[in-house]
Amino acid sequence: MRRGWFVTAGVFLALFAGTAFLSFKLPLLDALGPGPGFFPLILALLGGVLALALVVELKRDPQAPAGAPQPDAEPFMPDQGALFRIIGIIVLLLAAFTALDPLGYRVTSFLFIVLMLLVLGVRNYLAIVLVALALSFGVFHSFYYWLKVPLPIGEFGL
Amino acid sequence: MVDTFHHLMAGFAAAATPTNLMFAFIGCFLGTLIGVLPGIGPAAGTAILIPLTFQLDATGAIIMLAAIYYGAMYGGTITSVLINVPGEAASVITCIDGHAMAKKGRAGAALGIAAIGSFIGGVVATVLLVLVATPLSRLALSFGPPEFFALMIVGLVLVTSLAGSSLLAGVLMTITGLLISLIGLDPVRGAPRFTFGIPELFDGLGFIPVVMGLFGVGEILATAEKPYREVIKTNLRGLIPSREEWKRSMGAIWRGTGIGFFLGLIPGVGAIIPTFMSYIVEKRLSKHPEQFGTGVIEGVAGPETANNSYANGAMVPLLTLGIPSSPTIAVLMGAFIINGLAPGPLLFQERPDLVWAVIASFFIGNVLLLILNLPLVGLWAKILEIPYQYICAGTLLFCIIGAYSINQSIFDLWVMLGCGVIGYLMRKLSFPLAPLVLGLILGPQIEKSMRTSLEMSAGDFSIFVTRPLSASLLALAVAILVFAAMQFAPKEIRDPNAD
Repeated sequence: MRRGWFVTAGVFLALFAGTAFLSFKLPLLDALGPGPGFFPLILALLGGVLALALVVELKRDPQAPAGAPQPDAEPFMPDQGALFRIIGIIVLLLAAFTALDPLGYRVTSFLFIVLMLLVLGVRNYLAIVLVALALSFGVFHSFYYWLKVPLPIGEFGL
Repeated sequence: MVDTFHHLMAGFAAAATPTNLMFAFIGCFLGTLIGVLPGIGPAAGTAILIPLTFQLDATGAIIMLAAIYYGAMYGGTITSVLINVPGEAASVITCIDGHAMAKKGRAGAALGIAAIGSFIGGVVATVLLVLVATPLSRLALSFGPPEFFALMIVGLVLVTSLAGSSLLAGVLMTITGLLISLIGLDPVRGAPRFTFGIPELFDGLGFIPVVMGLFGVGEILATAEKPYREVIKTNLRGLIPSREEWKRSMGAIWRGTGIGFFLGLIPGVGAIIPTFMSYIVEKRLSKHPEQFGTGVIEGVAGPETANNSYANGAMVPLLTLGIPSSPTIAVLMGAFIINGLAPGPLLFQERPDLVWAVIASFFIGNVLLLILNLPLVGLWAKILEIPYQYICAGTLLFCIIGAYSINQSIFDLWVMLGCGVIGYLMRKLSFPLAPLVLGLILGPQIEKSMRTSLEMSAGDFSIFVTRPLSASLLALAVAILVFAAMQFAPKEIRDPNAD
């Protein structure tokens, strides 16, 4: 878990270094005062110093800083079943976002709910279909026609 | 004071129209539902439901979203008492004695006193809000850009130092939030920053998709690790507490009201601290502190009252100063902005009709919540029996609708998913998310007030320390930061004489 903090501190350092680099390309000062690059540069420099301080503190003392996971903290990686569910959710979300415009909300959300419930371990197929119908076609009707919330129709008009 | 009374009466007239009453009712109902469902916090829940308000006028939309917010604060109690799982973070402490009462067959009394205490806390806090709102907003009108800059820095410092167990992590998250808020067109010169030529980034990263990702998708991913929970069947009869329970609860309710309201005024305190403080106060004042944890009613009445009193008190800095004190209030601020309104002192001048209608709706909402919570508690308990998998799938679907429908943009969905993964990882690593969200919403205003101040002084930074109020506020921010740093410092620095 502490390795996760080291990695995160490294990500912060890279983020702040990148921001500082990009800020230098923007005007820092102009005739009216500070320019568009001024505030991000100050923040990036401050953040960079603090991220370095975090790395130093993590290296210096295995108990520091307060709040950081201790060496005996529970492992960062979830067990195999949990990892399958988490990756499954992310993959299904990626697929749904890709399919939303071409297939429309109703078809996409129907397939999304069916597959999501299967990934999460539901095996009552009648319940899966009924819930998927309610959350896809039912929700579409409520949001699109009653609440006038714009949702994608898709190329097949479904 | 007469002016305030007239405004409030006009607010009641607007809030009590059938349409606005319906919005308040729907908001309270949905808010309670969000509070009841573990895995959806009030921030994500409020953000998810913003699309429901797209077709409403600004007053109706804000009334409904505010009702969702304080409804969620009510609803979290039910899961704490019945399944020992807090529906939202502020109800954590209620698990201790509330669930112990449920095990003794007194779940009804625990839920009853929580609903009554929340009602009293909410109403009294709203009365106090009415009393302080006008003077505070008038005071804020005298602020210039340097004072606003200093005030927002105080707010951010408070959030950062109180949000998590590591100050360094909190500050890093705040800076990250501020930097994310700078993506898009520069608010003063209009020059694009950090947009990498992507047209969708010219308006910046959407606040709502970011919040839905961090708090909605991130929470779902975290709970997917252990998605199963046991629902305990318990006795819900006897919602009205006994005479003895009343006697023991009344002091706790009044103290909880005071603690919740005054801590609500301080940006950054969050809803958890008032509830814990109320619990500690009740335990200290009790003649039998050893009984706490075994199911004493004061352990439910005090924290639950403080929770709801805080929810109403936290509206004071939002409405009068434009400073959100928690991620959920930041979402509400986002809803104001989506509706073309800027919360803060000018809102009292420009849209008194809206502000006072919203404040009046808090009174109405608290009555509605009492009605919803007492007779319908059996219904909420039934909802707890819905398997988590269905709730998870439904929540993700509403996240998709919410993030997409604001700009009809698939890009916003990618932003939401990216933030969801980041939110999940940050949760696992115990990095606090609240400072990031507050940095994100306050970033543009902080930059604007800083740059306007520096333009006023022709680039001279002493403008922040030569104006008395701005200097005092910045000194306060430094003092808070130093105090927080001392709290987080290693023991040998805090107490050099210790062995």
